[in-house]
Amino acid sequence: MLLRVHTVSVMRRFLSPACTLVKYHAPNLFTSCSALTPSRSLSTGSVLRKDAPQQKPELDLDVWKSVMRSQVSQDDKQKEDREAETGGEEAAGGGSPVERSRTLVDMWRQAGKQVPDDVTEEQLETLAELTTKSSKRKYLRYLAIKEGHKKANREKKEKRKTERSVELVKEETGLEDAEEEGEGEPKLKNTFLMQFWTRSADRLLGWRAAQAMLYGQPLVYDMSYDQHMSRREMENTISQLMETEGWNRRSVDSFHLHFCNLQPDGAYQRELLRRYGQEAWDRLFVTATHQRHVDLFPREDLVYLTADSPNVLRTFDHTKVYIIGAMVDRSIQSGASLANAKRLKLSTARLPLDEYLHWEIGAKNLTLDQMIRILMTVKETGSWEKALEFVPKRKHDGFHHHRSKDTVERTEKNNQPSFKEGERNPIFLSKQRQKHTNRSDVASKQTVGLSENLSGQSRLRIALKSKLEEGRKVERKRNWWEED
Amino acid sequence: MGSFIIINSRTSLKHLCPLLRRPPYHQHTLQNLNNHPYCTKRERRPSEHHATKHTERTSFPKSVFAAGNARRTAEILKKRSGSGQDQVNTGSQKVRTALIAEIPDRVLSTSEWRDLKSRISRPERFELRMIEGMLSADTDISIAKSLLNYVAAENKTLPYELLLKYLALCVSGGHHSEVSDVYDIMKSCYKTLDTGAYSLFVKGLSQTERWREALIILEDLKKVIAPSSRNYGDAVTGAVLHGDRETAWSLYGELMDQGLTPNQETWRCLFESGVSQRAHTDQLLAILNYMRENQIYPEEKLSRSIKAWFESLPDENWRGTFTSVDPRGVCQSCGTQLESIQLTDDEYVQLKHRVMEDVIEGQDVFNKTTPEELESFKSFVKKRPAFDVIIDGLNVANITPKCVKSETLLAVVSELQGLNILVLGRKHMQHPSRNWNRHDMNQIKQKAHCFFTENISEDDPFLLYAALHSGNHCNFVSRDLMRDHKACLPDSATRRLFFKWQRGHQLVLNNFIPGKKIRFQRTSVYDTVVQNSGRTWHVPYDENGGERSTYEVPQRWLCLCNDV
Repeated sequence: MLLRVHTVSVMRRFLSPACTLVKYHAPNLFTSCSALTPSRSLSTGSVLRKDAPQQKPELDLDVWKSVMRSQVSQDDKQKEDREAETGGEEAAGGGSPVERSRTLVDMWRQAGKQVPDDVTEEQLETLAELTTKSSKRKYLRYLAIKEGHKKANREKKEKRKTERSVELVKEETGLEDAEEEGEGEPKLKNTFLMQFWTRSADRLLGWRAAQAMLYGQPLVYDMSYDQHMSRREMENTISQLMETEGWNRRSVDSFHLHFCNLQPDGAYQRELLRRYGQEAWDRLFVTATHQRHVDLFPREDLVYLTADSPNVLRTFDHTKVYIIGAMVDRSIQSGASLANAKRLKLSTARLPLDEYLHWEIGAKNLTLDQMIRILMTVKETGSWEKALEFVPKRKHDGFHHHRSKDTVERTEKNNQPSFKEGERNPIFLSKQRQKHTNRSDVASKQTVGLSENLSGQSRLRIALKSKLEEGRKVERKRNWWEED
Repeated sequence: MGSFIIINSRTSLKHLCPLLRRPPYHQHTLQNLNNHPYCTKRERRPSEHHATKHTERTSFPKSVFAAGNARRTAEILKKRSGSGQDQVNTGSQKVRTALIAEIPDRVLSTSEWRDLKSRISRPERFELRMIEGMLSADTDISIAKSLLNYVAAENKTLPYELLLKYLALCVSGGHHSEVSDVYDIMKSCYKTLDTGAYSLFVKGLSQTERWREALIILEDLKKVIAPSSRNYGDAVTGAVLHGDRETAWSLYGELMDQGLTPNQETWRCLFESGVSQRAHTDQLLAILNYMRENQIYPEEKLSRSIKAWFESLPDENWRGTFTSVDPRGVCQSCGTQLESIQLTDDEYVQLKHRVMEDVIEGQDVFNKTTPEELESFKSFVKKRPAFDVIIDGLNVANITPKCVKSETLLAVVSELQGLNILVLGRKHMQHPSRNWNRHDMNQIKQKAHCFFTENISEDDPFLLYAALHSGNHCNFVSRDLMRDHKACLPDSATRRLFFKWQRGHQLVLNNFIPGKKIRFQRTSVYDTVVQNSGRTWHVPYDENGGERSTYEVPQRWLCLCNDV
């Protein structure tokens, strides 16, 4: 064994780095040799560490050390060459906080921590601003996860692209077989229907949004929570707002979205511009204003939707202007939006989540995009059961709808045998009211107040709307026929 | 509605606690002989009259602030609710055992490792998974070495991550010479190391002859990131171990300058070094004062070192005993009266202002109340004479689900009759309903002052303010530990002050059985904090295995007496 170590070191000394291959294999070779030949009488203890108890003396456990050491001596030469070229720069840049965080990221990547592969200069600056180790770690982890998603998406897209191109090629060849004239271009189908392009859809939705801006029911987003949110929460808010706008545009009967309290150089505006881009932002069919909602609408029409409200929104009122706080709170900030409503003495309401869902544990706040889908559905159908489908399933244990449905049907049949067409909606309201008086007495007062507020004019409008919807909602229509 | 739910869940948890808390207390019966409930009909403050009446009750539950209470309650509740949690645990356990089962139990040769890898179903990250498994299973280091050999033979080099994990294995196993070998190798292979490696080297090298290099590494670490108190602690340990006390104390000073809280291990190390050598007495006493100021309680291990250090002081005749303190605040070993838990007038004023500004008003007055309501409350409190006891109406009313709420509240109010009582509640209590009997409420209003906040306002902060406003003799009745309100206070000093006041003035209702006499858990009359009275030191410490929550205080004391 001693002999072997000597040979290794001798070889290391005399072999040039060019013949490393031989050198690396040398110890390995020796190990296998010694394992085969039982003629070893030399002591191994002198080579091995004291604190590494050795049961199988034929294995030298420290071979990896010599491998690593030899690698260093080899690396050193290369490094010296490299450093001769770039040495000056590195020494200069090493001191700045950004450079330091860059090395930190590199080392953490090597150490197997969750760190993104590419880090931009901007991200490094944010990283350098963070003071504690755990905050740095969390930020990098977040970036790494985001990068992972991006990568997966890109891969998926590319895969689909190649698949499509393969298909295209197949089709083309097939077409050429069938008719000789096909000149390689994608063939237009011979059909009596007009081709529906994406841009036609865009135009249609654009018109609809423009219409909503003239005649639609206003829905206000209160953008006065920049103080309550961290940077990341603000980014999430804007993402959710963009999604909100998208859903709203695609809905059959869109809301007229108002972004109120939007300060011209505030964090909201900055982030919106960053995400949309100036051009798209200017063209967006949304009323963005720095004015307060109380200045735009009469106070008595405004209802602040907040999870902390004691009042339950039993029925969706088409004449009210609902306000949603544009806030994402990753750490639950209960009462923030309720405080705003209290300050302005606005009436408040929360969604009837407890009334429809088995939802015992967990904060009952929803994302902005879930909120708009719920509101859109309840506006179109009037059914909370359908609307609350958009509450994430993971949060609750399903509806308690069996009971409520039965009671509703029973009360309908017993009390109101037949109606004229124009009265439908008030009846709808009253049936909701009845349903809930069965359940809890506290909240029903609110409902009564709401339904009584309906003026004759709004009733007419609702009736018109329901007439329009009738054509669309076959299901509902059928129900009505049954009633009649 | 949200807060409504919270109240319900809170009380439903709580009403279970005292029921369940009884059995484990039988061992404390002797100790609690002197306890008696807060007795209200005869005198105002029980604390002054403790010595006179002892015999009311034999077994009396410990205060909610006693160490280990929360854990015991949680365990019992968990047992009640079934073993939903356990299933999750066994799941991760299974993964872990599967991983450990893969690890060979003897040194393998390169070819054997290759075989093993080819046999395994998931070959990706094989080496790393292996060494991670070894780390968690605490395997013999030679097996890890053979793994490194195999990787080195396969790839001609070792990845950084693998070396790092190996280093962690060496450090945790205490293979010091191996650590210094790895240090040489990694130092020469990589220009900079990651923070984890630095920390491991500081820990590993400080145990060896090369401990001075650990200090250099600490300097390197400073360039990347602010070292943790553990890093400093390891360096201090290294210096102490090799007899360089000056370096150790200068490092300790640096640690304190950074505003970090030292580890108990570091302190233990310093106290132990003090035993053998007479120096730095003042600095060691400063550690005790630091504990006092920051309300830190030493663990049992550290308290033993402190005891040994005091007893080793040559010119003095210190004697240390582990003991407990009787409810009057008298040390059962030396008979010294411990510091009172009462706050000074200045502290009262300070705390009152902090509660008003930070808890009630906070960033936004509208969060918890409205300005009008706050004004009306302020004038309400000002017009009335100072209260003796303040009742958290909704909390008390919800103690038992069996009773009509207003009845429970009335029973408690009647029990406290004769004192100047304030009942705080929300407006909905005034509307007669099944739970809120009009007759009961009228009686309550006759017997006590009442203030009802809006239904969407919080009532607890008002309770705190009224109690602080009324002064030292005023207690409050609630089961709420007020942790959310404590968290609103801006700095830890105020939070500690608040906690001290709370321990001395919160009456927690015991198990309430309708028709029976109502008993409160006794309030503490002495402060649980490290204290010095010239010839004695009293140090409260955490017992081994007694998991203490942050809102609990230790019940065991180290009594140090200087008998000249």
